[in-house]
Amino acid sequence: MNRKNPYIDYGKKILIFLLSVLILSVVVFYVARLAPGDPLVSYYGDRVEKMSMAERQWAEENLGLNDPIHVQYIRWLQNALKGNFGISFKYKTDVLEVIGGRLVNTLVLGGVGFVLIFVLALGLGILCAWHEEKWLDKLICKVGTIISCIPEFWLSLVLILIFAIHLRWLPSSGAYSIGKATDIPDRILHLILPMTIVVLNHLWYYAYMIRNKLLEEVRAEYVLLAKSKGLDKKSILFRHCLRNIIPSYLSIMAISVPHILGGTYIIETVFSYPGIGTLSYESARYQDYNLLMLLCILSGAVVILCNIISQTINEHIDPRMRESEVIETTEVTEIG
Amino acid sequence: MDDLILDVQHLTHQFPLTKNMVIKAVDDLSFQIRRGEIFGLVGESGSGKSTVARCVMNIYQPSSGRIFYNGIDVSDPKEFRKHKKMLQTSRQLIFQDSASSLNGRMKVADIIGEPMEIHHIKPNRGSVRAEAEFQLHSVGLDKSYLEKYPTELSGGMRQRVAIARALSMEPELLVADEPIASLDVSIQAQIINLFKHLQAEHGFSILFIAHDLSVVKYLCDRVGVLYRGKLVEVAPTKELFSSPAHPYTKSLLSAIPVPDPRRERARVLQEFDPALFGRDGEMVEISHDHLVRKGGKR
Amino acid sequence: MAELLEIKNLSVSFDTPQGELQAVRDVSFSLHAGEVLALVGESGCGKSVLCKSIMKLLHKNARITGGSILVDGIDITNYRQRDMERLRGRLFSMVFQDPMVSLNPTISIGEQIAEAVRVHHPKMEREAVHQRVIELMELVGITEPEQRYGQYPYHFSGGMRQRSVMAIALASNPKILLADEPTTSLDVTIQAQILDLLRDIQRKLGTATIFVSHDLGVVARVADRIAVMYAGKIVEIGTAEEIFYDPRHPYTWVLMRSLPSFAGEGEELYTIPGIPPTMIDLPPGDAFASRNEYALAIDYEEMPPMFQISDTHYAATWLLDERAPKVTPPMGGDFHG
Repeated sequence: MNRKNPYIDYGKKILIFLLSVLILSVVVFYVARLAPGDPLVSYYGDRVEKMSMAERQWAEENLGLNDPIHVQYIRWLQNALKGNFGISFKYKTDVLEVIGGRLVNTLVLGGVGFVLIFVLALGLGILCAWHEEKWLDKLICKVGTIISCIPEFWLSLVLILIFAIHLRWLPSSGAYSIGKATDIPDRILHLILPMTIVVLNHLWYYAYMIRNKLLEEVRAEYVLLAKSKGLDKKSILFRHCLRNIIPSYLSIMAISVPHILGGTYIIETVFSYPGIGTLSYESARYQDYNLLMLLCILSGAVVILCNIISQTINEHIDPRMRESEVIETTEVTEIG
Repeated sequence: MDDLILDVQHLTHQFPLTKNMVIKAVDDLSFQIRRGEIFGLVGESGSGKSTVARCVMNIYQPSSGRIFYNGIDVSDPKEFRKHKKMLQTSRQLIFQDSASSLNGRMKVADIIGEPMEIHHIKPNRGSVRAEAEFQLHSVGLDKSYLEKYPTELSGGMRQRVAIARALSMEPELLVADEPIASLDVSIQAQIINLFKHLQAEHGFSILFIAHDLSVVKYLCDRVGVLYRGKLVEVAPTKELFSSPAHPYTKSLLSAIPVPDPRRERARVLQEFDPALFGRDGEMVEISHDHLVRKGGKR
Repeated sequence: MAELLEIKNLSVSFDTPQGELQAVRDVSFSLHAGEVLALVGESGCGKSVLCKSIMKLLHKNARITGGSILVDGIDITNYRQRDMERLRGRLFSMVFQDPMVSLNPTISIGEQIAEAVRVHHPKMEREAVHQRVIELMELVGITEPEQRYGQYPYHFSGGMRQRSVMAIALASNPKILLADEPTTSLDVTIQAQILDLLRDIQRKLGTATIFVSHDLGVVARVADRIAVMYAGKIVEIGTAEEIFYDPRHPYTWVLMRSLPSFAGEGEELYTIPGIPPTMIDLPPGDAFASRNEYALAIDYEEMPPMFQISDTHYAATWLLDERAPKVTPPMGGDFHG
């Protein structure tokens, strides 16, 4: 039986990734220009209204807006490939510069949040499965259901009210106190509330999934054999059941990265946290084409990448998927 | 000339494994079923017997070879489309695992009535429900079962319901794919008897697929033994049991347990060495109606 | 002979939404060292539940409602899961019906056997464990054990998987092996091979075996003694010869008659009339009475006791009472099929 060459496989995946991003960029480019609104407003502000036709024309030409769309797109693509994504109409600087600092903020909030969700969900799920149908399991499930039902923005406001306004323990907004941009403890303090919301918002779904998948495995026939070997509950749960659900958990978590990052957008708005979320909203609203393009491509790339990672995990961790099935009794014939 | 209801000629079906590998699940298979005959096809798991059933039922399109049903070449998609309605009602399939082949959310009455509604067939006994009740009765269940769900029934009863559903189409050919494999021995006997009665009553033909020779002895007129996608022996049942010719048939026969402790303990099994099996042998008629695969290099 | 396992008046019930389901009712039997006892009956007769209740492998809605289980003279009836973990594998272990699902699909065969070796010998050297696994694989007839060690269950055919399951079950030299329909889902030729393997191992290691099956034909090859179960009760128990050549219970008669091997040429296969009772709210008297063509009036009122026929042979039917009419059994005597 011939094995697939892994490098060819990875090469294919990278190609698929690049192609997807390219198609995405075309779609976003066209759709953004179809939306109503005047991109000059974001560049010139109120001055647009006082402009003469000639001035407008000159401004549009200056920004490259009066060429046919496909010409604009090709120009954008050529520049983009050189690493030049254009300037933001609103901030009037290189879009990379605009995004730079905020991207880090979002990645810290979403990334650390993601890791916390991953670990806590695993822990809670195992805890519930271990104490199946006992009071601890029931309590965790009930609390989870209730918290999941609360809209995140409302929960955010309640937490701000309690911890920032009444108790005055934590700051209510922003990523750092004024003048303390490099003060790490201060930044951590600012992160606590939004991070709590990100985690509380997604944790339960994954914890519940782990619990149910584990209980499904516990009821599998092979567990009876493992028990009759004399294995204890701990070994069965960790060495057998957990091992069997981890691949699917990893792949589901990989798909959910964009979901969790997307969730931070709203939270960023509530906490006035200077991240990508608030920026994306602005760029779409003010027809800040270059900024919008880069943001869309960035988030799109994350989604596509996570899907590919998830798929790769599925293919590689489970031994059943690693090789094609061996059929012993029927005749295998080589052709060609 | 025999009156054939099914004529399978050089049927081959391959499944692609990788780009340049295929699995020949069924390899150059030919057999005939005469009108009103019960033909048994016996083989172990992986021998391709279910693939044959699916090709005969047009679930799989054969890779090569032809299948004539009542003279119509059903392996030809054009011919199949032309006679689709007739083919789908007059041939009926019964699966091994009726627990998964019957919809658990449907009542027995609806399960039996469904094919009539799909094919817009006017029930012979007035309403669909009356027809369902009649068919249920003919498989030995009373009308109290009409309102039950498959999960409330035992394996044997579910299989009866599956048979009743097939009967409602008044089929000419019944293809039963291991219908008794997952049942207790004592229930297997009931279903075998039921098939026999129904066949005598309706006169349809049956392609009966099994993995075990012991059960086909009491049901089938002729038996074909399948090994690795190839027929190794076809013979009238009596002759196959009294004078098996192929070593694989012999090993299958020797594997049937004898319910006698002293004799059974002393009995030595005849194992069939797969290395002795030549794929390019040919079917030779050694006596009337008795074909055996002979020769061939390994 | 020493009695390795003694079951006394054991009853097991399940709590179901419809009420209490009595899966095992007042069952008593003993298992001697080095013998094969077969439990035979139709699905739902409680034979599998009986095995799992000995190993305490039943689900939470099942409970032992009466009786006791004695292993090597120790009463384990009230043992908790933690106590059972020490006994499982070492004292008794189990082989299950479907080898396609009883192995963990993501762990290699060798590792799964090694795990069973290590459970009761946690300090064993890596090399020694490996050596023992290879030994076990050879014992159960897995060819090329070194190459097969790292393969996964999906590489194995059904028969090979069942052999692996047996290697796991035998890893800690259990005194008792419980085999729950170990050959039912296998091909006939493979079934015969596994039966012979069971018999060989039992001879080589002297492991006492409880062999559960719905097929009397299969049982004839391996069993020293046979217990026939119906509706949660043992209705007849005796040596294989006694059960096959001198069966006394009407249920044993019909179970045997329904075997295809007993039907003559061109004859109709015998089928047992009626359907098995649901085990909720059982009627008084003998549960088999309504399907029994030899039923007496008393069968509908009073449960028959176990009548002794010989030192080893017992049957629970009123036909054995001295007041009962004499009936010529339709089955028994030497088989001339």
